[in-house]
Amino acid sequence: MRGGPAGLRADAEPGLLGCDSCGLVSANRLSAQDEGELVQHCPRCGHVLRARQPFSVQRTWACVIAAAVLYVPANVLPIMTTVSALQRERHTLIGGILELWDDGSWGLSAIVFIASIAVPVLKICVLTLLAWTTDHAPDWRRLERAKLYRLIEAVGHWSMLDVYVVVLLAATIRFGPLANVEAGPALLAFAGVVVLTMLATFAFDPRLIWNGADAAPTSFDLSDGRRTA
Amino acid sequence: MSREEDALVVCEQCGKAHRWIPLEAGTMARCVRCEATLGRGHRMSVPTLLALTITAAVVFLIGISTHVLSLRLRGATEGATLPQAIVATWNEGQEIVAIVAALTALVAPALFIALRLYVLVPIVRGQVPPGFAFCIRTLRQVGRWNMVEVFTIGVLLSLVRLAGLADAAPGPGLFALGGVTLLFAAIESAGLKHLWWQV
Repeated sequence: MRGGPAGLRADAEPGLLGCDSCGLVSANRLSAQDEGELVQHCPRCGHVLRARQPFSVQRTWACVIAAAVLYVPANVLPIMTTVSALQRERHTLIGGILELWDDGSWGLSAIVFIASIAVPVLKICVLTLLAWTTDHAPDWRRLERAKLYRLIEAVGHWSMLDVYVVVLLAATIRFGPLANVEAGPALLAFAGVVVLTMLATFAFDPRLIWNGADAAPTSFDLSDGRRTA
Repeated sequence: MSREEDALVVCEQCGKAHRWIPLEAGTMARCVRCEATLGRGHRMSVPTLLALTITAAVVFLIGISTHVLSLRLRGATEGATLPQAIVATWNEGQEIVAIVAALTALVAPALFIALRLYVLVPIVRGQVPPGFAFCIRTLRQVGRWNMVEVFTIGVLLSLVRLAGLADAAPGPGLFALGGVTLLFAAIESAGLKHLWWQV
């Protein structure tokens, strides 16, 4: 207990911590210098309470860079090989989307494009932007950045779609030389991109967007957050 | 403990503190600073939640034990259940992809149901199960990695892509997984934190 009798420090920002697991609100008893050495736990459920996740930006960068590197083999290497009586064909991720487009399945082609290309690229770009602005432009468009974070948090797992499709095609089209589908090496790379971008999303602490948002923090700010939808 | 006694709520997304006001059913509270959802007015009681979870358990068992799709080519029929598709991927030498698919489409939804049952059954009887806090914490992670809905759409997409190649048909597992997707959405809308108000 380093704070006053009530345990609330006027200079601690933010002065109140909400438990991620049970929602109970506790006073922040640690100053920024204590973070890393001392850990405060939720009195109700024992979950770790932190004003900011430690090394959040570093961990985000690590996962984003790894995902960006893996994104190259995911697109260049074949994601599946189809064998038919006549030929053996290798398909890349983009090739598969173009084939669907040429076949006239524009809707499907668009779904696969959004899930496999747009969502991973969006996640890598948004996380790069969020990690960079945290250190270099903390004041820039906070609300928009917060909304971008929530967007990639919500749509992130949909890029696994193509992985499941290849897994299913490879599992069902098993008629030997007549018709066969084998998963290609890009599948592993692509699954890696999806998992790494998700890890990067969870590593980034969205509270960092609001660093220094209240120029003169009071002990704590209570607002009526009620708004009906 | 009721929600009203908590009195305060801190936004998970930006850390801003708000005074909590009980919400009417069907309304939603948003953070004044970052506009993230702070909470909802709940209409679902714990017994309702338990009923939905039991339903999800039954439907999920059907979903993983029956064929999600099957296809016929010149007399030969090939069908696949979700576990079979994962095993086939493993046997093809794509072990890591098989593990990722198993964790996200099989283990995560199974834990989603099993841990909720473990927590909800005693709560309905007025008891608190041992390891309650650990279960809620794990359920939060499980929810993030559960992709059963993506898998369901993946099956639909595979069906369409197979249609040109062979006689492809959806299996009962596909409909069951579609049901699981809807049930999970309903269960998740109730949130997890509110279970703490019951103990």
